[in-house]
Amino acid sequence: MNDLDVRGMACPMPVVKVKQALESAQGDLRVLLDDGAPRENVRRFAEGRGYQVLEEPFEGAFAFTISGAAAKQELPGAGRSGATVMLIGTDRLGDGPEELGRLLMKNFIITLLDQSQLPDRMLFINTGVLLTAQGSEVIETLEALGNRGVEVLSCGVCLDFFHKKESLAAGGVTNMFTIAESLLQAGSVVRL
Amino acid sequence: MVKEGDYVAIFNSVHRVMEAERLLKDKQLKIMTIPAPRELAADCGLAIRYAEDVRGEVEAALTQAGLMPRNLYRKSGEGFEKIEEEQ
Repeated sequence: MNDLDVRGMACPMPVVKVKQALESAQGDLRVLLDDGAPRENVRRFAEGRGYQVLEEPFEGAFAFTISGAAAKQELPGAGRSGATVMLIGTDRLGDGPEELGRLLMKNFIITLLDQSQLPDRMLFINTGVLLTAQGSEVIETLEALGNRGVEVLSCGVCLDFFHKKESLAAGGVTNMFTIAESLLQAGSVVRL
Repeated sequence: MVKEGDYVAIFNSVHRVMEAERLLKDKQLKIMTIPAPRELAADCGLAIRYAEDVRGEVEAALTQAGLMPRNLYRKSGEGFEKIEEEQ
């Protein structure tokens, strides 16, 4: 059995780590996690993907045994080969008036929450990083997507350019190596 | 996205939603433009969400600017209840 300790991690890292571990796990996965949001989010995420979750108390926290990897095949999107990567290169959706574009992008991201099939990874570059930094209206939404297993990553150079390095508020920072690799290895890329 | 007890104001044009958003944000009121929940089919697909604590200020500002929404709903359990005009 593989072990993973996500105690002390802030949301959505527990879900992100569990997702990565499940993708590479051979057999069952045992996860140590804190009570509260991590416990609820990881359970919802794993059960949503067809796994069974067995829970037991562990040193003031909890231990989940996540099993049943074969069920993955029945998931929506299981027919896809490789990850779905969404590349968000702007804070606006479509060409046209700025104000309308920003409104559409915000609404697009919020609407993702209602979708059963989500991207595996969302990469924010150029003005796209304004969506993941403080002041963005979709921080709460991106956190919720993170808790459903979507990996939210922003381009470090871009954050730096806009002086937003210290104010990243959703997801993690990435670099061009990871961005290029993600795009080249993806099963499908959705570019906005 | 919409919590229990939140209000969702549906407008009949995207221009009115955007104007209302601008007006309310200028007044530093805590509102958010959201996709209109599917069950509240709106022509433009957009709505403005706000909580009870700013309801009075939001609606007073909209009324004053002639930007009253076409319909107003409150999130209740799984669905929405329609708020009828009280004036």
